[in-house]
Amino acid sequence: MTLNIFHVATIAIAYTGLLFLVAWYARRRCDQGRSIINTPLIYSLSIAVYCTSWTFYGSVGKAATTGIDFVLIYLGPTLVAFSWFFLLRRIIRISKESNVSSIADFISLRYGKSQLLGSLVTLIAMLGIMPYIALQIKAVSTSFALVSGVTARTIAIPGAESPVSLPTGLILALILSIFGVIFGTRTLSSTERHEGLIAAVAFESVVKLISLMGVGIFVTYVLFDGFEDIFNRFRLQDPDHFYRLFTLDTSVGTPSIPSATMLMLSMGAIMLLPRQFHVMVVENADISHVKKAMWMFPTYLFLINIFIMPIALGGVLLTGGTQGADYFVISLPLAAGNEPVALLAFLGGLSAAAGMVMVESVAISTMLLNHLFMPLIIRVKPKPWFPLLLINLKRVSIFLVVFLGYFYYRVVGDSFMLVNMGLISFSAAMQFLPALLGGVYWRRGNKTGAIFGMFLGFLVWGYTLLFPSFVTASGDLTLLLKGPWDFPLLRPTALFGLTGMDMWSHSLFWSMLFNIGGYLVCSLTFSQSEVEKDQVRRFINRFEIEQLEVHTDIKRLSKPVSVQQFVALMGKFIGQHEAQKAMTAYLKGRMIDETESVPEFELPTMKRFVERTLAGSVGAAAAGAIMDSYLSDMGSRMESVYDIFSTVRASLSQSREALYVRLKASEIINRTLDLQTIMDELLQLLLKEFRLDCALIQLRKNSDHPLQVQSYQGANRRPISPEHWYLESDAYVRMAMVDQKAHFSNDLSLLNEIIPVERTRAEGFVSFAHIPIYREGEESLGVLSVYSKSIVGLFTEEFISLLTSLSGQLAQTARLVSEMEAKEKERREKEQAQLTNARVMRDMEIAEQIQISLLPAAPPELFGIDLAGRCAPAAHVGGDYYDFFKRDDHTLDLLIADVSGHSVGAALIMAEVRTLLRAKTGRIASPSAILGDLNSQLYDDLTRAELFITMFYARYNTATGRLSYANAGHNLPILYRDSEAKCIELDADGLVLGVLPSVVFEEKFISLQSGDTLLLYTDGISEAAEPDGELMGLERIYQHLAAVSELSSNGIVSSFYEMVQDYTKSSTLQDDVSMVVLKVTT
Amino acid sequence: MWQQFAQKILNRLQLREAWVIFFVLGNVMINFPFLRIFNQPVSVIGYPVLFIYFMAGWAISIFVVYLFTLTLDEPEAAEQQEEQA
Repeated sequence: MTLNIFHVATIAIAYTGLLFLVAWYARRRCDQGRSIINTPLIYSLSIAVYCTSWTFYGSVGKAATTGIDFVLIYLGPTLVAFSWFFLLRRIIRISKESNVSSIADFISLRYGKSQLLGSLVTLIAMLGIMPYIALQIKAVSTSFALVSGVTARTIAIPGAESPVSLPTGLILALILSIFGVIFGTRTLSSTERHEGLIAAVAFESVVKLISLMGVGIFVTYVLFDGFEDIFNRFRLQDPDHFYRLFTLDTSVGTPSIPSATMLMLSMGAIMLLPRQFHVMVVENADISHVKKAMWMFPTYLFLINIFIMPIALGGVLLTGGTQGADYFVISLPLAAGNEPVALLAFLGGLSAAAGMVMVESVAISTMLLNHLFMPLIIRVKPKPWFPLLLINLKRVSIFLVVFLGYFYYRVVGDSFMLVNMGLISFSAAMQFLPALLGGVYWRRGNKTGAIFGMFLGFLVWGYTLLFPSFVTASGDLTLLLKGPWDFPLLRPTALFGLTGMDMWSHSLFWSMLFNIGGYLVCSLTFSQSEVEKDQVRRFINRFEIEQLEVHTDIKRLSKPVSVQQFVALMGKFIGQHEAQKAMTAYLKGRMIDETESVPEFELPTMKRFVERTLAGSVGAAAAGAIMDSYLSDMGSRMESVYDIFSTVRASLSQSREALYVRLKASEIINRTLDLQTIMDELLQLLLKEFRLDCALIQLRKNSDHPLQVQSYQGANRRPISPEHWYLESDAYVRMAMVDQKAHFSNDLSLLNEIIPVERTRAEGFVSFAHIPIYREGEESLGVLSVYSKSIVGLFTEEFISLLTSLSGQLAQTARLVSEMEAKEKERREKEQAQLTNARVMRDMEIAEQIQISLLPAAPPELFGIDLAGRCAPAAHVGGDYYDFFKRDDHTLDLLIADVSGHSVGAALIMAEVRTLLRAKTGRIASPSAILGDLNSQLYDDLTRAELFITMFYARYNTATGRLSYANAGHNLPILYRDSEAKCIELDADGLVLGVLPSVVFEEKFISLQSGDTLLLYTDGISEAAEPDGELMGLERIYQHLAAVSELSSNGIVSSFYEMVQDYTKSSTLQDDVSMVVLKVTT
Repeated sequence: MWQQFAQKILNRLQLREAWVIFFVLGNVMINFPFLRIFNQPVSVIGYPVLFIYFMAGWAISIFVVYLFTLTLDEPEAAEQQEEQA
C-alpha cells in the first residue's frame, strides 16, 4: 500500500516551508541580537548532521546484512569526542583567530597559505564527496518511490495525454541545490555564521531522531513485543543467521569490511568531512560549547542507533529476507499499513539527506570559491560588480557539487549498498588526516610534505576506490581482475599483489601508506619557508609558550592611509554595505575617526582586521594576495611596508626579521665590550636588515655635555660639521631625549612646517625615526636615529618597538661599559698609589740610611772626657741633629739641633746645616759667631721652607775645663754637678735660627769639674707624653740624670731611651729623640 | 565519605593526561583482540553478548565523557575571561 504522490509531495513541501520558517525565525532572532542557536544543545544537534540518510536507511540495511558492525561507524566518533577537549578546541581557537572559512583554508593556512594546497584539498573534497551525495539522492529518491508508489520514475499527471517521465533523482538534486543556495549563500562572507542554516540543520536533527525512534518504537513495540521478543524469535527461527549478525566476521578473504577499517574511517570522518569541519569549527559560536557537545553528541548517536538492530531483525523476520533492507524503515510501516509512521520515516530520511547536502554543498562551495575561483579572479583588477559575481559563483558551486553527486548516483548508484558508497567518501576525507594532525602537532611538517602526501594519497584513493566503483557499475570487471594492460600488479583492488582484503581496507591501507609516507619523507627532506615557520608559531608554539607582550610608547608624526580606502577595498569583495558595517563595528570603541586617516599605531591592527575580514569571504591565502595587488594598484604609500614586514601582517606574534635582528644584536653586544664596535656593528645590522640608508648614534658623556655623534653608518656621509643635514632633526632628537619616546615620521613630505627638514629631504630621505637611548628610570644617554630613502611608512609599531628595545639594550651596554671603565680606572689609580708609596718608602729608607750616616759614627776620643751621642727619629727621617768636631787634642765642639717637623724637608735642612758647619771647622770662631753666621746663611732657605732650627752649640777645652756655649732657642742643656748633687741649666740668650736675617747670640762660659755630666737633649724627651697626656717635664729628667750619673755616657743615653719608652708605655717614639752626654772624667 | 571519593576522582579527571589515556583505552577496547572476548555466538538473558558489550560500553563511555566535562567548569570560565581580556 502506498500513499498518494500528491499527498507526499504536499507534505514534503509543507515540511520545507516549516524549515524555512525555522531558519527565518533564527535569523530574525539573530538580527535582534537574541540568538537562539547560541547554545551547546544546538551546537551538538548541528554536529549531528553527521547522521545522514546513511544512518537513517543505510544502518538498517547494514545491520540486516552484515550485522552489528554498523555500530562502529558511531563508536568511532564517540571515541574521538574524548580528543575534542584538546584537538577540536585548538583547531577552533586557531580558526577563529584567522577567520578560517573551511578545512581547505585551515590546512593551507598552516602550510604557509599555500594556494596549491588549498586547491588540492578542495579538489579532493569535491570529488571525494560525490559518492556521499549520490547516497543521499539515492536514498531519498528510493524512499520517495516507496512511499509514493512511483517506481518507474514516471508520474501520471491528471489531465495529461500521456504519463510524463519525471526523473525523481534529478528533481531531488535540484531541490537540494536550491536548499543549499537559499540557506548557504545569503551573504558572501562565509565566516559570518549561518544562523538560519544551523537552525534548520538542528531542527532536522531533531526530526530525524524523533522519526527514527518513532519507527523503532513502532516496529519493536507495536509489530513485536519488545527487544527480547524480536531477538528470541529471530534466534529460534534462524540461530546461525542470528549469531552471524551478532558477531564480527574475522575470517580473511570475505568481502565484509573489517571493524578496524570502519572504526578508523568513522573516526577520521567526524573531524575531516568538510561539513563536519564546517559545523564544528566555522559555525562554532562559543568555544565553551565544545565541552557539552562532547557528551551530548555521542548521546545523540547512541539514541538514534538504539532501534537499528530491532528494525533490521524485525524487517528480516517480516519480509523473510534481506532484500531491500536499506529501506526497512519505510517498508515495514507501509507493510503494516501504518501510513503516518511511514510518512514520518520519509520526512526523517528527507531531513537527514537535506541537512547533509545543504551543509556539505555550502562548505565545499566556499572552498571552491576561495581556493579554485578566487586565485584566478584576484589576478584581474577589482570591479564594482565583483560581489555579485562572487556570490553567483558560490551558487553555481553548490549546483556543481550536488550535480556531481547526481552524476555519480546515475552511474554507480545501483551497484552499491548505501553504507559502502558512504565509505568511499570517508576514505577520501581520510586523506586530510596526516596534513591536519601533523599541522597542529608536528612542528616540522611542511608544505611540500603536505602537498606531496595528500596528492599521492588522493591518486591512490582514486585508483583503488573511486575508479573501481565506476568499473563495477559498468559491469565489465576484466580491468579489476586482470589489471590495466593485463598487468596484474596494478590491479586497482589488489595493488602490488595485495589480495584478500576488501576494497575499502585495501584502499585505506595503500592511500594512507603513500600519504603519510610522502608527508613524512618530504617534511624531513625539505625545509619550511619563512611564512610557514610563522604559521607553525601560531598553530603549535603559542599553545606551549606564552609570548611576552612588549608595550611601547609611540608618538605619531604623520598619517598616511585613510579609513575609507580600507572600506573601499573590502567593499569590492564583500559588498559596500557589509564592508561599511564591518568597519563601523571595528571602529567602535577605538579612537579612530571614520572620516580621517588611520593613526600609525592603529595601522597594523587595522591591516590585520581588513585581511581577516577579506579572509572570511575569500580565504586567508587570497586575502593576502588581494591586499598586496590592490595596494600596489592604488600606489599606496604603504605598499613597501609589506615587502619588509610581509610576515607581520597577519601574525599576532613577532615577525621573523625582528627575532633575527634581536638575536644578532645580542650576539654583537655579547661579543665585545668595546662600545664603539658594538655601535658600529649594530647600525650596520640595521642598515642591512631593514634597507635603511643611514643610521647614527649620538651620545653624551653626562647631562652637562652636548650630544656627539659616536657612530655614523650609511649614505651621505661627510665631515660632521654644523652644516650637516642630520642636525636639522635636532629638535626631534632633543624631544626624544627629554620625553624618552620614539619620534618618527613615516613620510617627511607630510611633516609639519614647524620644524622643517628641507636639507634632509633634499638628500633624498623620505622617513626617519629617532629613538632615545635610555635605561628605565634614568636620563637618556643619547639617541639612535635611522633614515630611509626608499620606504615610506617603514616605521610600523612593530619596527619602532624593535628599535626601542635595541636602544634599551644599547643603553644597558653603554652603562655597563662606563661602569667597567670607572672601575678599571679606580683600580689603576690604586695600583699607582701603591707603587708611588712603595717608591717613597724606599726613598725614605735610603734617606734614613743617609741621615744616619750623616751623624757621627762614633764620638771623637779626647783625654778626660767620656762622650756619647744618639739620635732616634720617630719616622724614617727626622729633624734632629747632633755633631762633634774635634778642633785639636784638647778642644772639642759639640752641638745639638732640632729642625722643626719630621719631614724630608727637615732632614734636608739638617744636611745643609751639617755641610755649612763642616765648612766652618777649619776656622776657629766662637760658638756665638758660628750660630750668627749659620743664621744669616740659612735664613733664606729656612724662610722659603717655612722651617726653623733650634740649636745649642758648645766648645769644651779639656785642658782648661772651660765650656763656652751659645744657644739658638734650644732646650736648655742640663749639667749635673756630682760634687753638689744638683742640676744646673745652661742658659744663654739667642733667637731661633731662621726667624730674623741677623741675630746676635750671647756667649756664656762655665767651668766643668771632674764628675760633671752634661746632657744635651731635644724636646722629644721633655715633651714625651704619658698615655693620659701628662708630659715628662724637666723635674723627672733631673731626677733621672742624678740617678744615672754614675753610669758611663753610653749607659746614660740608653737609660734615657728606656725611660722615655717606659714613660710613654710605647715602644715607638712620638717625636725624634736625640741626646748627647758629656762626662768629665778627670 | 562517598562525596570525598567522588570529588577526588573528579579532580583526577581534570588532568590532561587522563583524556589521552581514556582515548587510547577506548581505542583498545573496540579493537581486536579485546573484541574477540565478546565476539561469541552466545546470548545472555536473551541478548547477544556483543550487542550488550557495544551498547553498555557505549553508554559507559558517554558517561565517562560527561564526568570529564563536569570537571571542566572552572578552568574553562577562567580561560574565557582571559580570552576576552
